[in-house]
Amino acid sequence: MIIVIGAGPAGLAAAEAASRNGSDIALIDSSPRVGGQYWRNRGTVKGYRSGRADQLFSKISSAKSITHISEATVWSIEKEGDLFRVNYLQGGEESSLTAEKLILATGAYDRSLPFPGWDKPGSMTPGAAQAMLKGSGVLVGKRVVVAGTGPFLLPVATGLAESGAEIVGLYEANSPIRWLLSLHALLLNPGKFAELFYYGNLLKRFKISLKFNRAVSSFADGSATVSHINSHFMVKSQREKIVHTDVVAVGWGFLPDLTLGGIVGCAQRVDSDGTTIFAVDGEQRSSVENVWIAGEATGIGGADLSLIEGEIAGLSASSQSISPSKRFTRIRKEIFANALKRSYPIGDGWQSWPQESTTICRCEEVTMHEIRESVTELGAEDSRTAKLFTRAGMGLCQGRVCSRNVSEIVGGLTHCSVTDGERIASSNRPIASPISLGLLGDGKK
Amino acid sequence: MQNPDAIVIGAGIVGASVALSLTNAGFKVLVIDRGAVSSGTTGAGEGNILVSDKDPGPELTLALRSRDLWFEMQEDVGDAFELEAKGGVVVARNDDGPLMKLSSEQSLHGVTIQKLDHASLHELEPYLDQRYQSGVFYPQDAQCQPMLAAAHVIRAVVRRGGAFISQAKVTKIHVREGAVTGIETSQGSFSAPIIVNATGTWAGELAQMAGSHLPIAPRKGFILVTEPTKKYVFHKVYDSDYVANVASSDADLQTSTVVEGTRAGTILIGASRERVGFDGSMNYEILRRLAAQATSLFPILRDVQLLRAYRGFRPYAPDHLPVIGEDATVKGLWHSAGHEGAGIGLAPGSAALITDAILGREQFMDPSPFSPQRFLSMGIEKVLS
Ligand SMILES: Cc1cc2nc3c(=O)[nH]c(=O)nc-3n(C[C@H](O)[C@H](O)[C@H](O)COP(=O)(O)OP(=O)(O)OC[C@H]3O[C@@H](n4cnc5c(N)ncnc54)[C@H](O)[C@@H]3O)c2cc1C
Ligand SMILES: Cc1cc2nc3c(=O)[nH]c(=O)nc-3n(C[C@H](O)[C@H](O)[C@H](O)COP(=O)(O)OP(=O)(O)OC[C@H]3O[C@@H](n4cnc5c(N)ncnc54)[C@H](O)[C@@H]3O)c2cc1C
Repeated sequence: MIIVIGAGPAGLAAAEAASRNGSDIALIDSSPRVGGQYWRNRGTVKGYRSGRADQLFSKISSAKSITHISEATVWSIEKEGDLFRVNYLQGGEESSLTAEKLILATGAYDRSLPFPGWDKPGSMTPGAAQAMLKGSGVLVGKRVVVAGTGPFLLPVATGLAESGAEIVGLYEANSPIRWLLSLHALLLNPGKFAELFYYGNLLKRFKISLKFNRAVSSFADGSATVSHINSHFMVKSQREKIVHTDVVAVGWGFLPDLTLGGIVGCAQRVDSDGTTIFAVDGEQRSSVENVWIAGEATGIGGADLSLIEGEIAGLSASSQSISPSKRFTRIRKEIFANALKRSYPIGDGWQSWPQESTTICRCEEVTMHEIRESVTELGAEDSRTAKLFTRAGMGLCQGRVCSRNVSEIVGGLTHCSVTDGERIASSNRPIASPISLGLLGDGKK
Repeated sequence: MQNPDAIVIGAGIVGASVALSLTNAGFKVLVIDRGAVSSGTTGAGEGNILVSDKDPGPELTLALRSRDLWFEMQEDVGDAFELEAKGGVVVARNDDGPLMKLSSEQSLHGVTIQKLDHASLHELEPYLDQRYQSGVFYPQDAQCQPMLAAAHVIRAVVRRGGAFISQAKVTKIHVREGAVTGIETSQGSFSAPIIVNATGTWAGELAQMAGSHLPIAPRKGFILVTEPTKKYVFHKVYDSDYVANVASSDADLQTSTVVEGTRAGTILIGASRERVGFDGSMNYEILRRLAAQATSLFPILRDVQLLRAYRGFRPYAPDHLPVIGEDATVKGLWHSAGHEGAGIGLAPGSAALITDAILGREQFMDPSPFSPQRFLSMGIEKVLS
């Protein structure tokens, strides 16, 4: 038996590939529908080439050897001899499954950076804006600013526009000139030109103009300040504009969800852009025997890379052969993923956006001032200590939102770059999802 | 800093306390840590300052004095420790004989106790399971935020003429003619006639650097933290079962759980008694056991969500007593380490014992039970077992 955790592009591809030789597979995901971050909302948000998704969905639902366990959130994984016991919560009850092999495809979530007003109602991540659309179409008719960095801003803006929102601004923080460094990656992935063309047309159709080198530097009461920024993300003084908007959807790339792999003990490493990811080999094997990891958790690279990684992981875990062309496809997509990292970096200048009173940790309401004091007054020199002093990262989200930001702010304040060890240590969360004490204690509701 | 009078190695709560008490006695103190302040076990501790869980004996005497010194230290340094005399409630479900006996003995040794019947117990803790029949209230039990405390204490030391060097790992302790002369660190060497080893779990390594020996080993401990809730738990509450277990030498089986609410509204569930220790990696079985004990005390907590769990390593000596005093063989090398699950509570008392010994002042208690000398007679095999 193989347990696949996560039913996004990577997990779906892994389950489908592993099922080809009849292996028994359990596919666990916390949401009611398969698809993961991007494909889950396919019904309302049209994405480019969503045909791929439909194909996989139907294969998964018709494969007899795949059991899909939906609305099940894995909260811990234990080792029992040679088996992994996966404990999950479903409908208020705890259940568990055991298997010899695990494929983790837990994906990533949007990264937020703090600026004055980022925690106000109306400010959200692009992922959250999309998710809100899904149900009641809450956003329809509202004015929305989409900002941040990365190519995914395009499907978000056009998707929102298609659903009736008025996109009053689309702001990319980086300059397109960066792509000149990565022309080879585009040539290796010519399909991306077609994708760009597709979104370009949509932008034209909805009369959305894409502006570069700009960021939302503050947001309050229906107005966003949009500032020109330089390549390090420092705000250029005197060059700003007020935009009236109901919503700002701001996203700064993605942070991999490392929780489950961390519990199992899979080795992590720090990617070229400072993101902590899992170290895997050419067949997506992690450092822990019989655990494969695929998708965004092994490096941010978009849905296409997740798909091929998932497929390779599924084949490897079910002892099927992996053709050289698949390996080559993965390398090709990786080259593109690296180009994305080069083209959409996050400049350290963001650390100058928060004011002293700006909240950095929303759950525990810790301000920039408190973090600064923990360093200058109390002698915190690393993020762990700063977090212990201020409680940043100790609330409901367990630092998923602010942990990396706090590390980098502390690094900036102490003039020390954040060490790899520190980046890796801060993703350690033994409780992957909240569980009630009653359930934990005796398994009863 | 040129020529400090004393070097304190370790910027946890134990080292911070020694540094402050030496500074206040007129010494120029240099504090050294390989990490930042509170980067060791102090950063994983829960902050209980307990007298209730100690049998009459040297540790209780130390705990009582130390508890008062905590309040003096906070006054001295400024109100920043989140120090609070919240009080502890030890509860009994069936046979309260052992608890009543222990608390009576404790009261003869300076512990303030108040025996509780069913009505008064449930008045103090209205959400406690009704099946608990009786209990004892210990108003002296207190708590603090240990990481903040260590940071503020170190800051006071620096403001009073001391110095703190972080990220400096001690690699050598120089000994000449049986006495310390200084240390080698990753950030240079420093000399002083007095060196205090306050490196907690790592104190054995440091002793070795001076050619001496301390049998201090790490023991894992767990704390569970819930989501913020309405106030359900008003004191530090734990079951008296452990009293009956004290006779048992199987220390690992004793998971006596302390449940308490914090200012932030979260509930902490920790096995803070010094006899409790666990080895191995994150052990979900132990988390389940702690949760089961907490909910059997407070059934209302069944619906409260557990958000996180963390572990730390308690430093312990084979006889479960801290090591406080001058090294058995090396002059000028002082140890304050091995406080196991009570290092927060015992820190300022331990510091006072050391400072008074160095100055030749009268000590508040006979420190010989804590003496590093005691391991000499134990024999090395026993120490390592
Ligand atoms: C708004 C937005 C727009 C995007 N646009 C594009 C685009 O245009 N092109 C592109 O290539 N990429 C785009 N992406 C990125 C794309 O979403 C990801 O590349 C892709 O989803 C990654 O796939 P994955 O399988 O690695 O992870 P995910 O899709 O994130 O799937 C992970 C799954 O694991 C589940 N999971 C995690 N932890 C647990 C647990 N403990 N228990 C149970 N289940 C768990 C999650 O619920 C989730 O369903 C976009 C992303 C967003 C948010
Ligand atoms: C889960 C848990 C809960 C606990 N709860 C409580 C409680 O409620 N109440 C209580 O009283 N106690 C509690 N304790 C115990 C308490 O935390 C410890 O006894 C106490 O923190 C020890 O303090 P310390 O200063 O001796 O050690 P530490 O805080 O570990 O400090 C030692 C310092 O020495 C430094 N160091 C080590 N080697 C070197 C070197 N070579 N060079 C330089 N520096 C070095 C380290 O970096 C470290 O900062 C708990 C412990 C755990 C694990």
